[in-house]
Amino acid sequence: MTPVLPRGVRLHHDRVRDRWVLLAPERVIDLDPIGHAILSEIDGASAVGEITDRLAVKYDAPVEQIGGDVREYLAGLADRRFLDMVP
Amino acid sequence: MAWTKPIIRELE
Repeated sequence: MTPVLPRGVRLHHDRVRDRWVLLAPERVIDLDPIGHAILSEIDGASAVGEITDRLAVKYDAPVEQIGGDVREYLAGLADRRFLDMVP
Repeated sequence: MAWTKPIIRELE
């Protein structure tokens, strides 16, 4: 599965509060540093496994741990309609 | 920075 940001959803840096958020029409999700790292890897072409592999290298952490956290995080965003998962 | 479990926090 490949995560894709739907039209109208985008990453945004709130410079007033110096934080990253995920913006959808009239809705906002506050991103912690790991959430921002995950979303920064979403390019519309990379599958979840590829994103997980890159983050495992970047954070020098077990791919099993990161994979579980990434899938759960992306599923939560998809449930809230901040993300589409395409085959 | 170490990996920590990310949390979804939707603002009101």
